[in-house]
Amino acid sequence: MKQIRKILIGAVACLALAGCRKDEISGNADDIPGLGGDVWTPTQIDAWLYENYTKPYNTDVKYKWSQTELSDINRFVTPVDEAKVIPVMKCLDSVLITPYESVTNADFMRRYLPRFIMLFGSAAYDSDGTRVQGQAEGEGRILLFELNNFRIKGMPGYQPQDSVGAKRLFHIIEHEFGHTLHLNIMYPVEFKSITGSYTSNWYNYTDGEANEKGFISNYAMSGPDDDFVETLAILLVEGQTAFDNRIASITSDAGRAALQQKSDAVRNYLRNAWNIDFTTLQQQTRAAIVRYTK
Amino acid sequence: MKKWTLYILLIAGLFASCKKESYVFDQSPDERINAALASYEQVLQSPASGWKATITTGTGSIFNFHFRFGNDNRVFMYSDFNTSTAGTEKESSYRLKALQQPVLIFDTYSYIHLPADPDGSVNGGEDGAGLVSDFEFSIDSVYADSITLTGRYHQTHLRLEKAATDDYTAWQSGVWESTVQFENISLILEYFKRFTLGGVQYDVKIDPIARTITFLWFSGSTQRSFTTSYYFDRTDVVLVQPFTNGTTNIRRFSNISWNAGTRELRMQIDNSLVTVAGATAPVRIDVNAPRRWYNTVASTDDYWVSLYGFHVNGVDDAYKVTAIPNYAFMVFWPAFGTSGGSSYDLLGFVTQTNDGLALGFGAGYSAPDFTADGRAVFNVLGVLGDVPSVAENAFYNTASRMTDPNGYYLVQTSNTSYDMVAASNARAWISWFR
Repeated sequence: MKQIRKILIGAVACLALAGCRKDEISGNADDIPGLGGDVWTPTQIDAWLYENYTKPYNTDVKYKWSQTELSDINRFVTPVDEAKVIPVMKCLDSVLITPYESVTNADFMRRYLPRFIMLFGSAAYDSDGTRVQGQAEGEGRILLFELNNFRIKGMPGYQPQDSVGAKRLFHIIEHEFGHTLHLNIMYPVEFKSITGSYTSNWYNYTDGEANEKGFISNYAMSGPDDDFVETLAILLVEGQTAFDNRIASITSDAGRAALQQKSDAVRNYLRNAWNIDFTTLQQQTRAAIVRYTK
Repeated sequence: MKKWTLYILLIAGLFASCKKESYVFDQSPDERINAALASYEQVLQSPASGWKATITTGTGSIFNFHFRFGNDNRVFMYSDFNTSTAGTEKESSYRLKALQQPVLIFDTYSYIHLPADPDGSVNGGEDGAGLVSDFEFSIDSVYADSITLTGRYHQTHLRLEKAATDDYTAWQSGVWESTVQFENISLILEYFKRFTLGGVQYDVKIDPIARTITFLWFSGSTQRSFTTSYYFDRTDVVLVQPFTNGTTNIRRFSNISWNAGTRELRMQIDNSLVTVAGATAPVRIDVNAPRRWYNTVASTDDYWVSLYGFHVNGVDDAYKVTAIPNYAFMVFWPAFGTSGGSSYDLLGFVTQTNDGLALGFGAGYSAPDFTADGRAVFNVLGVLGDVPSVAENAFYNTASRMTDPNGYYLVQTSNTSYDMVAASNARAWISWFR
């Protein structure tokens, strides 16, 4: 009797487990919308991006609007105008990729160019009144904003003052790529203590006030990483002469010395960490920028 | 025996409790959403003449659009946002996407993004908000001849209605473009933009950003004003609230045509043809206004504020005062101080510093001459403070514009604001408020 009871209890348990087995879900789940990314009829722009970025560098350049690509989805940003996509990406090629490749090798950019580059038309406004014009996330993603105002020499309607906006974009590209470099090989820790005194209220200072305190721009005051890449970006985008002139115009001795030290640190870092001849890189970058803006 | 019964009941219960429900739908959610997206795409592409649509932005402006959707994710559009968007069809892209709901996304920049752009210089809205509009819409309902959608961010309502052939040709042939030229009223150089109807002279002011129009006129010696929103309706400008003055009723302006040479706008109101043109003096000069403007603040040791400086010959902030580094605003401060025993008025430039606002420099004037015909004439005494070299052009141009020998009319625009208009030709003015 005891045996039978055990068997019975066992049978009940089996039934309890097996009896409620769910069938596979009803209907066909082979085609889940959006799985594997959005699809659309490819245009010439898509073909160009595939040939010039996806194939050689395995980089996905996204220009069609997707709210989820914004890391802060509470920001309201508008998409980029299709007419700006290829000009912006051509500039990125000659201002960033070609100069770096010329001082390293073809594999360098294949390895370090971010895997995703997102393009947006307007700036992303923050509630403190500042505008985000570029953003690097980890080493894999670069977000570029405010591209609808982008105009370079030779484009219809170009005026000399448009070079300000174009140079801002080049600055952001160099700035964000600088983050990629130091996220792979960290710059010497001593850099952080050259001036110290970083602040999240950097936007309350003008660039001139920041210079006096030994920072190349006000944004450089926001943290050591940004300080490092701001110094790198301004050295590359403005060129050595403009950088030296800016240092020379600083009245504070401490500020001048600190900036000189920071610029040396950037130069040494690129040589020691990446075996890059900084002077050549700087001249090539600057030459490309001059071509687009003067 | 009792136990056996219990076991049998238990087993029966297990079988019964696991009875499967039959599914409500005979297809999976994925299949159904794919089918819905495909059918919506079909509907979007079907009308040969496209769709007409209207958007009311979060700031209350009304914009019309025309869309044609292709089968290759391409969309062509017109808009009455400005004369150029009303005259040139722009191609961009769209896609339908399954988010929480099926969504229509205008995924590259076109005219629908103009009111939504968070850059205030694009649409006149505030930076960060624009005119509070959308370009990503959840699809609420789809019929063969209408689609209703709701913006995903600002909840802007968008209703697409199947367009007739002549709806589309009205855009193509420039009918809309010509109507939108109504906003060229802003290009008239004179402060006073005037037309006459039924024997009454009306000054009009339009705000193309908010899409409002203000009528100013005199009834006897009393100045009256009326403000309403307007929108475009193919051939007409429609007033949201009709304007009434005695027997004069204005519901809409039609047959709009702009003469770029003379800067005059011709239009039809019912059966009357009128011309809006610049005028160099108010309909009726408010003779006491200059003294009233001055005394309002002088009596309380207060001051008038201007944010943008002078508008001159069609250029806002002609002397670029807002480009002065850290510029905050300008003030006119009667009896600001005394010098050599006599008091002086100050036109001061206020800038932001680390310690707050600072009144760094300005021009001193003797108390204005109030002429019998209602003008204020300013006479400069000297410069106060140190004018930074970057601010010199803005400062000296503004300070000397003040001393126009013909003086200024003061036009009261509200209880707390006045516009000061050059009496010489009404092509320069500055707005004061407190």
